Amino acid sequence: MSGRGGHIEIKNVSKIFARPDLNSTLVALEGVDMEVRPSEFISIVGTSGCGKSTLLRIIAGLEAATFGGVFCDGEPILRANPKRGLVFQENSLFPWLTVRGNIAFGLHATGKYRENAGLADRLISLVGLSEFANSYPHQLSGGMRQRVSLIRALAVSPDVLLLDEPLGALDSFTRMNIQDELLKLWRENGNTMILITHDVDEAIYLSGRIYIMSPRPGRISGEITLPMSYPRNRSSSDFVEVRNRILKKLNFAREEREDYNL
Amino acid sequence: MNEKTASATSGAMHLMSEANVQSRAPTLWELRQIEAAPKSKSRLAADRAVAALPLVMGVLVIAQYKKAPNAGNAVATDTYAYFIALLASAVLAMLVASFFSKKAYARLLEKAPLYTAGFLLFALYDYATLKTGILPLPYFPWPDRILNGIYEDRALLLDCIKNSLILLFSGYFAGVAAGLATGLSSGLSARVRYWVMPLIQILGPIPSTTWLPIILIVASSLFGGSVFLIALGVWYPVTMSSMTGVLNIPKVNFEVARTLGASRARMLFKVALPAAMPNIFQGLTQGMSVACTALMVAEMMGVESGLGWYINWQRGWAEFAKMYGAVIVICITFTVVNFALKLIKRRVLRWQEERAD
Ligand SMILES: Nc1ncnc2c1ncn2[C@@H]1O[C@H](COP(=O)(O)OP(=O)(O)O)[C@@H](O)[C@H]1O
Ligand SMILES: [Mg+2]
Repeated sequence: MSGRGGHIEIKNVSKIFARPDLNSTLVALEGVDMEVRPSEFISIVGTSGCGKSTLLRIIAGLEAATFGGVFCDGEPILRANPKRGLVFQENSLFPWLTVRGNIAFGLHATGKYRENAGLADRLISLVGLSEFANSYPHQLSGGMRQRVSLIRALAVSPDVLLLDEPLGALDSFTRMNIQDELLKLWRENGNTMILITHDVDEAIYLSGRIYIMSPRPGRISGEITLPMSYPRNRSSSDFVEVRNRILKKLNFAREEREDYNL
Repeated sequence: MNEKTASATSGAMHLMSEANVQSRAPTLWELRQIEAAPKSKSRLAADRAVAALPLVMGVLVIAQYKKAPNAGNAVATDTYAYFIALLASAVLAMLVASFFSKKAYARLLEKAPLYTAGFLLFALYDYATLKTGILPLPYFPWPDRILNGIYEDRALLLDCIKNSLILLFSGYFAGVAAGLATGLSSGLSARVRYWVMPLIQILGPIPSTTWLPIILIVASSLFGGSVFLIALGVWYPVTMSSMTGVLNIPKVNFEVARTLGASRARMLFKVALPAAMPNIFQGLTQGMSVACTALMVAEMMGVESGLGWYINWQRGWAEFAKMYGAVIVICITFTVVNFALKLIKRRVLRWQEERAD
């Protein structure tokens, strides 16, 4: 690991959305505290609607926190920056660009294209898509598209890679394959990784630490550190035990929410 | 680590083979062949006859023209015969090709009734004018006269085509540039939209040719005035389509561009513009038809050159054959222009999923 990952600090962040149509507001995040150290791989799990995407978008700089502070390497995050790459769930490729064009976009935008001649093609062959370098996104399968999204974000060598359920729409075979590729890329590059997933196994397989979020309002309700070494065995007793612990916590979070509703 | 690499590539292999199957799938044409019900022997023979029909009809048209007596003392040259012969040899070429390529045969079969009807129409018109005079001169010149009229004035007509195209494209490109500027900027910025929208709502419904009488008086040069007129007509649809195009771009495109470090200029030219292209081309096509209309009106009412002027000028001499000739030349010119636009569109939008047209 080259250890050039970014350091993310989230201090007491709340996000309140305006709901002009309902003439009301919605508390999406409340008092979120989180720290991700350089080159760490962490996951965030939680039921849908608990504010995971919102949190990630705030870290990316696409959304501003209503209260609290968000910092990258000690500096407040004010806007999007290629230092923090973002991979969306699906269909975020530019449909008018080929695979190579999509990957080169960030290199051109950051002025790194010249000095990185051939990087796009190297990344493409790294994920086994050389034959499709000149294909347009609609000609690819869902798994191929997500691979391209991934290396498009990696091409500009971000310090932090933010992944918003990047494999959520894929079948389980493809998902496991890309999980291995993800691990490999992370171990080679040492970026800080923040992965959102609703797949508990995926979180355990990949990350060193897992944050559990609970909904309404979205907040951190648990944190689990995983000391197991890579590669991890999905059927080992450690793995199964951690899975049960997390599922219990998630369930607890849900019951708590039901209590609120009463 | 090696294990990991292996499993990663095998994952990619799995996906590649999946796509290879897709690319080896039958083309639309092959699928039609597979799905088509087998035809009976008599049906196949009938198809052969249908394929030959246009050629037979073409020869008949020439035979009628050359052999049947003309009404009164009407004189006719060989120009028309050559013209029909040219069309007939095109059909002949298709017929020959159909023996070598199944695809060419299918295409000829599909078009054969249409071509036959076309030749039939020529024969009927020739019969009604030159042969019998049922449709009288000077309003109904026979095709030979029209063709000779075009040939006689060919130098002038070429010049007119050139002048028309210069005027058309000067106005068109000016309108497209202005339309893209207002459309894209109002699509991207609510503040620009605030000021541009009322302008569009007031100016939009006015046909641009309405301004012609005013422009004829105010403009210092007729050419400049006409360029403005055409540009105004093109501006509106291009503005509307590019604005709608930008407003409909999924937000994720801009967000991705931002996280990849795109500047504002890159956001405009490398994201907003290409993403809005499908819409913009609707405006470009619509704008072209508006431009052609405005061109004709401008040339007929003021500008002293171009095809619109020519047709009007020949009216002054009651040269009906040449007026019809001009109509044909105009039709061909605009068809070519629109075809070129369609080719450009297909090239620019090749990233779109193919749709059945
Ligand atoms: N732009 C927005 N405007 C209003 N409400 C929003 C907006 N974005 C998200 N929300 C709301 O915030 C909550 C959290 O959303 P999100 O972060 O997408 O959840 P998750 O990713 O965990 O499924 C949801 O209730 C959602 O409806
Ligand atoms: Mg989400």
